Amino acid sequence: MAKVLMIHPDKCTGCRNCELACSFEHEGQFRPSAARVQAYTWEREGMSVPMMCQQCDDAACVTVCPTGAMHRSNTMANLVDWDAATCIRCKMCTIACPFGNARYDAASSSIFKCDTCQGAPECVTFCPSGALEFIDDEQHVRSRKKAYAAKFKDAFQEVS
Amino acid sequence: MYGWTGTILRIDLTKGKVKREATDVKMAHDYLGARGLGGKIIVDELDPKTDALSPDNKLIFAPGPFTGTFAPSAGRYEVITKGPLNNVIACSNSGGAFGPELKYAGYDALIIEGKAAKPSYLWISDDKVEIRDAAAIWGHDTPDTTDLVRAETDEEAKVACIGPAGEHLSLIANIMNEMHRAAGRTGVGAVMGSKNLKAIAVYGTGSVQVADPDRFKAAVMNARKLIQAHPVGGAGLKAYGTDVLVNILNQTGALPTRNFQDGYFPTADKIGGESLAAKQLVRPKGCFSCIISCGRVSKVDNPDYKGFGEGPEYETAWSFGADCGIDDLDAITKANFLCNEYGMDTISMGSTIACAMELFEMGAITAKDTDGVQLTFGNTAAMVEMVRKAGKNEGFGAKLAQGSYRLAESYGHPELSMTCKKQEMPAYDPRGVQGIGLNYATGNRGGCHVRGYTIAIEVLQNGAVMDPRVTEGKAGLDILFQNLTAALDSSGACLFSTFGIGGAELAEMLSALTGVEYSLDEFLRIGERIWNQERLWNLKQGYTTADDTLPDRLLNDPIKTGPAKGEVSHLDQMLPEYYSLRGWDEKGVPGKAKLKELALN
Amino acid sequence: MIVKYFATIRTYTGESERRVDDTPPTLGPLLETLAARYGRPFRRAVFAGDELNPEIIILVNGRNVLYSGRLEAPLAEDDEVSIFPMVAGG
Repeated sequence: MAKVLMIHPDKCTGCRNCELACSFEHEGQFRPSAARVQAYTWEREGMSVPMMCQQCDDAACVTVCPTGAMHRSNTMANLVDWDAATCIRCKMCTIACPFGNARYDAASSSIFKCDTCQGAPECVTFCPSGALEFIDDEQHVRSRKKAYAAKFKDAFQEVS
Repeated sequence: MYGWTGTILRIDLTKGKVKREATDVKMAHDYLGARGLGGKIIVDELDPKTDALSPDNKLIFAPGPFTGTFAPSAGRYEVITKGPLNNVIACSNSGGAFGPELKYAGYDALIIEGKAAKPSYLWISDDKVEIRDAAAIWGHDTPDTTDLVRAETDEEAKVACIGPAGEHLSLIANIMNEMHRAAGRTGVGAVMGSKNLKAIAVYGTGSVQVADPDRFKAAVMNARKLIQAHPVGGAGLKAYGTDVLVNILNQTGALPTRNFQDGYFPTADKIGGESLAAKQLVRPKGCFSCIISCGRVSKVDNPDYKGFGEGPEYETAWSFGADCGIDDLDAITKANFLCNEYGMDTISMGSTIACAMELFEMGAITAKDTDGVQLTFGNTAAMVEMVRKAGKNEGFGAKLAQGSYRLAESYGHPELSMTCKKQEMPAYDPRGVQGIGLNYATGNRGGCHVRGYTIAIEVLQNGAVMDPRVTEGKAGLDILFQNLTAALDSSGACLFSTFGIGGAELAEMLSALTGVEYSLDEFLRIGERIWNQERLWNLKQGYTTADDTLPDRLLNDPIKTGPAKGEVSHLDQMLPEYYSLRGWDEKGVPGKAKLKELALN
Repeated sequence: MIVKYFATIRTYTGESERRVDDTPPTLGPLLETLAARYGRPFRRAVFAGDELNPEIIILVNGRNVLYSGRLEAPLAEDDEVSIFPMVAGG
């Protein structure tokens, strides 16, 4: 019964409400360059994709962190948490993350990485299109899998 | 400051100088931003006699206080200048992401003056501003321009640019941003081209501050809820886009057909939003902070008109469709893509081609004039070819690129240009819908629907209903819409948020954001102030009550077929009351009392 | 009489128009007949309880029925009825 932040890029309209919600929640202002989620748009293809920390079980950022500032949360499932107090800003986590989802912000001297707003992710609330879902891990791919299963159902219904 | 950044950038392209100035706080409070603030700067700084295409004109890019926040669907900005099409305060609105990026870079407005010695582009990265050589980019279409500029600046920069049409000083040239969004009307692209300015690239790492975060968030959540619950704002526009209007206007009998010769187009269904969704739609798209997603990412597979991009909007499907007697959606969408690439206003382009078609069919122009093309209504290939020619400024296209008024006048038939104050009217026939006709006639920037979209009430039942066929009450309706829209346009909000919210919700969000208390009354008064400001400018340009009119065809020639057959516009029954309710004299001149009330001199 | 459907209404009816041979005298009975044919999504779109749904736009020969009696709007044999959900544009 753990929740995951699921991304549906096919539903993303590129509105970047997720970035605004993230920035506002963490800083009380609108500075999307500081958001932990970024929705990138490819104008020629008309497609956008949001990206944020995937809270890896075997997280590279946790492995390389010399102080344990990056650590798996022991209060919340499915969360890699960051402790500002023990972080030395060595930035090894930003080098290690293969997805580029941890970044160092000089302006605030912090590591920016999605923390799911401690279990109530604002980006999910503000996404108008359902491109972001905070959903039980048992169900997080159900709608997609079932949508495809429905195509098989329709095909077989016709012939049988 | 909250909401506003507090800084304006003034760039003199002649001298190559950049100056940072403090935003005038009182001006920001009284005019908000975007349309209002830009208009005020034009009024204060520009000699009314300035030639719009001379280096003395000023080109302003201005977002509003909402721009860059998560106020729903509020990421807009305006381009404000003296318009070369018709000398008005040309204020053209656009979405995308350019406006918010200006705010993050730290600016409430860019004021661009003078003329660069050679083709140039601006690179604005927070407080670093460079005027750069655009020799390698001049001549490129707007998508290529965007990519080329980003390759030299930052791949995540937001780019506003002109295409070949703006470079050729086409009076219907637009400014595109994010490749698919347009500051479309009144020829703002030509002003940019006249300054040898090809593009502006912006990248910002700054922020927009909020005066009362809790109050703002609560107001935003409420506004979002209202829009999402609205059938149009919440679902309809995302499913079908604006093109869904084709059928309802046609069934009302007010879809202008063949250069407004008629008001009903029998095969309209082939070019409506339902057909677009079925045949061409790839996915919906939204501008910055938008929750409505009216944008259409679309493709055409037909090899004759193959393409991929965004659109068409209702106005575009109409201008290249019913207005040209064309029901081929593939061709229409291709014409739309071409206009985006060349950088041209789709409404004016289509309507100008329709005008040319009528001139051709009556023999006022011949194939000799049109480079051998049989430019008749319904000739799909000819329409698309003319869009290309106009974009390239080639042959007959060079005449089309100056708009229908100059075209029709040059062939001795100005009455066939379906314009008000020389700007082409959009896709609603005033003979079938009385109130929108009054809006066209009194519109400060000429034939325009968005500045007073009475269609929402007269046809679309949005919150209230009024019979489109009657003139009673329309003066008051137009004024309310015009005032509210002027304030909304100046705040950074998108017009479509009014499918869900109104002035009260906008005023509440604005108050919480800026820390300045705006009542609904004050918000509307700001809109009224901005409307009167634009009117005063027009009077200085020599516009009179004689220009608050519609083409003779709409006043005297009844619609020929369809549900509104037999109707004409009764503008004369609405205009006097309009002037009176506005506090203007019988010649449409704002009275001293009204100007004092609005703090306009 | 011919009834035309637009936008989402087409998804409820599965067709874009229908010829109706026995013209009912007023709009109400016509909508009842159509609702019986097309089912609940259509019924919910056109009715709000016993009233005309405020979020539906119905034109008879281009004239909104709000001005000719709503559900009491009279119908004649050669009429063209158009049914729209609330739509928008610019």
